[in-house]
Amino acid sequence: MSSLAPIPAIDYKTLVQDDRVHASLYTDPRIFDDEMERIFRRGWVFVGHDSEIPGTGDFVTRRIGTEPVIMVRGVDGDVAVLVNRCMHRGTMVCPADRGHVRTFTCPYHGWTYDVSGALLGVPYPGGYGAFDKSAHGLTRAPRVSSYRGFVFASLSPTGIPLSEHLGLATRLIDRSCDLSPVGEIELTAGWVKHRCAANWKALPENDSDGYHLGFVHRSLFMTVRSQYQRVVGDEKAIKAVVRDWGNGHMEIDWSPGYQGPFEWLGGASGPAVADFTAALERRDGPELARRRMREGPAHVLIFPNLFVGETNIAIVEPVSVEECVHWHTPMFLKGAPELNSRLLRMAEAGMGPASFLMPDDLIIAARNQLGLHARTAPWLELGRGLNRERVDADGRTVSHVTDETTNRALWRHYRTVMTEA
Amino acid sequence: MLPDADHRAVVEFIYREARLADEARYAEWLGLWTDDGVYWVPASTDPAADPDKHISHIYDNRGRIETRVKLLQTGYRHSQEPASHMRRLVSNIETAQADNGELVAESNFVLAELAIQAKRELHWWVGRTTHRLRRVGAELKMCRKKVVLVNAAEPLPNLSFLI
Repeated sequence: MSSLAPIPAIDYKTLVQDDRVHASLYTDPRIFDDEMERIFRRGWVFVGHDSEIPGTGDFVTRRIGTEPVIMVRGVDGDVAVLVNRCMHRGTMVCPADRGHVRTFTCPYHGWTYDVSGALLGVPYPGGYGAFDKSAHGLTRAPRVSSYRGFVFASLSPTGIPLSEHLGLATRLIDRSCDLSPVGEIELTAGWVKHRCAANWKALPENDSDGYHLGFVHRSLFMTVRSQYQRVVGDEKAIKAVVRDWGNGHMEIDWSPGYQGPFEWLGGASGPAVADFTAALERRDGPELARRRMREGPAHVLIFPNLFVGETNIAIVEPVSVEECVHWHTPMFLKGAPELNSRLLRMAEAGMGPASFLMPDDLIIAARNQLGLHARTAPWLELGRGLNRERVDADGRTVSHVTDETTNRALWRHYRTVMTEA
Repeated sequence: MLPDADHRAVVEFIYREARLADEARYAEWLGLWTDDGVYWVPASTDPAADPDKHISHIYDNRGRIETRVKLLQTGYRHSQEPASHMRRLVSNIETAQADNGELVAESNFVLAELAIQAKRELHWWVGRTTHRLRRVGAELKMCRKKVVLVNAAEPLPNLSFLI
């Protein structure tokens, strides 16, 4: 009789090096399970946006890692994140994507909870002796916190506060939200979900990769002009940059390449944007308003699963070690209805399974995943730009937009999180 | 139902449109559209879905339909390079005339797509299509095509072929 060989511990310090990472990080199911615990259960994870659940009892269902949760607005107006699992026998209490409820009733044996998760009642209570209802409420995410309407949760009762996790990257969320004349974005168009046959980390890596555009999106560049045209062509003429904001947050900043206002919108002028321009100028004064209209919204991946992707908001959802889902919705600017119809059409052009960009990203991610099974050549090279990146006054590493500074930022933080005691 | 001759013409149009899409005959497929064509694939099965408020998988005007086709013709649309192998069955066709004279057809489809670009998986697509057709000279042309997938709101794999 043979015995199983002991499973060696995963040595992240060897697998994640400063300029290369090992293919098993994308293919080993043990590593995936480890990530769900260390990154998605212990850390801060984006769950949803305030504007999705404006009233008491409004809810959406999401996953934190692979754990089903409900984000719901309570009677006090606060947002709770409840684990979507009846405390009796484990049935998912809420099967809908979104909706409005007064209570959550389990369809199996009728246990009923209020929107704060408290257990209201149990049918046929005579079958229980001393039964403490208060000990059988839905499990609540112990920590929920938000920044400018972006709601994050942690399934761990301890850890750093959200403000420390976001760090300076709040400036990038500000950059997007402040494009709204009233300083608020709204996610009200619904979400498109795009399935990807690759490890979840391929999505944040690709969303913050400025090197691939001219190749993966060649069909689009050959067909129509877009704001991304400036990243193809002569290397030295490209002005856009990438930045490492720490804690795994990574940015592509296209704005150094923008000369006039609204280039991020593919161009806009005249009456279509007159009200919007006037509203920003009233609030910010002409100089700051002009700067905002030139720079446009941020392009930043907030570790691990939120992509503030210029005019879109996207979520990275891990499914299993070789499958994930990319969600997206247009980022509507409250108080700018004249722009929102364009933002809706831009979202359909750029992201989602039938769009002009994302299908090509995700088919390359799927081919990448297949290639990573070649263990005779197990390393991924991530050294691009080490020869020219620099640190700015705020301590952020900055480099040419095609450099792998962003990938290294992700992996450095990943190694820290995966090796913490 | 339309009178027999019109009904037959609509059914033949729908079969031809399906075959051109299946066989990646992009230029001929584009030629089926009127100049004001609208191609709509909602991201929801809700009949109240409003393309001006809710995100769609596809909501193309004529210009964007052309862009969609041109991308496929570049040879660098990686998600359709090479083109998926496809065959679709169209059935349950019901026809009627709209108040403005356009011919309206509703039908169901089942489409088998071998996505050969990476994992070589067979994907099944199922849904209901509404065509609106108009006579332009001696020909029928499509001025609107709406495709409601049964799984419109679920995570979908690439849909960069012509559905």
